[in-house]
Amino acid sequence: MKRLRVRRGLAIGLLLMAWESLSRVGWLDPFYLPPPSTVGAVLISLFADGAIWTHLAATCTAAFAGLAGGLLVGVMLGFAAALSPLVADLLEPVMILLNAVPRVILAPLFVIWLGIGLSSKVALALVLVAVLIFFAVYNGIKEVDRRLVERVLTLGGERRHLVREVYVPSVTAWVMGTLKVAVGFAFTGAVVGEFVASSRGLGYLLQFAQSSYNAGLTIALIVIIMAFVLVLFALAEWLERRLLRWRQG
Amino acid sequence: MLHIRGLVMGYGGEPVLSGCDLDVEAGEFVSLIGPSGSGKTSVLRAITGLTRPQHGTVDIDIAAHEIGYLFQDDALLPWRTTLENVALGLRIRGVTRGAAEDTAARWLARLGLERFGNRYPRQLSGGQRKRVAIAQVLALQPKLLLMDEPFSSLDAIVRMRITEELLEWVEREHLTVLLITHDLEEAISLSDVVYVLSQGPRATIRSKHAIEIARPRHVLDSRGDPRFGPLLRLLWSELS
Repeated sequence: MKRLRVRRGLAIGLLLMAWESLSRVGWLDPFYLPPPSTVGAVLISLFADGAIWTHLAATCTAAFAGLAGGLLVGVMLGFAAALSPLVADLLEPVMILLNAVPRVILAPLFVIWLGIGLSSKVALALVLVAVLIFFAVYNGIKEVDRRLVERVLTLGGERRHLVREVYVPSVTAWVMGTLKVAVGFAFTGAVVGEFVASSRGLGYLLQFAQSSYNAGLTIALIVIIMAFVLVLFALAEWLERRLLRWRQG
Repeated sequence: MLHIRGLVMGYGGEPVLSGCDLDVEAGEFVSLIGPSGSGKTSVLRAITGLTRPQHGTVDIDIAAHEIGYLFQDDALLPWRTTLENVALGLRIRGVTRGAAEDTAARWLARLGLERFGNRYPRQLSGGQRKRVAIAQVLALQPKLLLMDEPFSSLDAIVRMRITEELLEWVEREHLTVLLITHDLEEAISLSDVVYVLSQGPRATIRSKHAIEIARPRHVLDSRGDPRFGPLLRLLWSELS
């Protein structure tokens, strides 16, 4: 484990060194690909003057609100569809359609409906996450272990016991399995939403960096978003290990 | 205690079981043997209401909550600890968590699992899981115990030991038992009455045999009884 980390660190270090040296000898045009030292300087200045924080806060707020809302909506609709055939018949076609298209195409519509503020970004992140979670929950319940259902029934259990003892834990396992993807989706929704129309956020900064042909700022922003998502992945993994302790042999 | 008349069971299409009459009186140990696919499990599913019969009646003169059902596989909740699994039936019946877990801990201790209360099913051996499943059912103090080939997945030594233990509990708690098995020796050595099912589909009860060996039984001792050999040959000829 430790050896793996050392090797990975070494690989990244070598890549950065090669990139830096190629820039210094003039083989890479800094206009298109500024060296790591320049990107580093941009990163430092972004945090030093504090301008980045409002943007970071805006993107995170949109992503987390979308993630929370998407989880809530996805779990509720998934349960409703799994437990009621009528709801399933009504929801399934819509969800299959939403799942088939790249859902970010809804971004302009949300801007028209909700304006360029926070709510249109939250809405986009929410839709991205909710569809994913809906299928995790819906399939999770449909594929629940029948033996466990019958075990609870023959111990005298009713529907509420089935939900608490069998359905909720099975679904938790499914949802935890997709949580990392959901975190990625939430950030995609927030950033793309900002990209389309906004006055703050990392997506807005990216849009600004692109329109001013500022490759250094663009790369710095990409690095910030990557670092953020990696931290969240680690958190999701920790949560998964904690909640699914029973899976360890 | 349990009277089944003209039971027909099927899952769409041709019935697996057609025409089963069976009686279990209070305090009796009854076995139902038959080849695979003769609908043995269907009989238990009809008794517990998991599957509705196509025809026939099941009369039980005790309440549904006085029936304990030991599955073929242990069917423990993988996300609950051993203690929580044993307490599950009691919790479903409205016993508070504390009281249910106290009772569960006592049953675990009786079955020699007191050190495993905090483990998850995945962390136990097959024999240990089976003991947990037994504790889960016995903790509800059933009057009628239904068992569906409960020991078929265990190796011979563990199987012998657990059967002996269970037999002790049956005697101590005066349990009435209906055992489904395809193991003739097991059926003869444990039961007062053995019913034989014919090959399915459309299986029927072929015969009924009273086993006159005195109780309490011991798994090994019954096999040494002079009546054991002839009975075994008779049942074998009926099954083949």
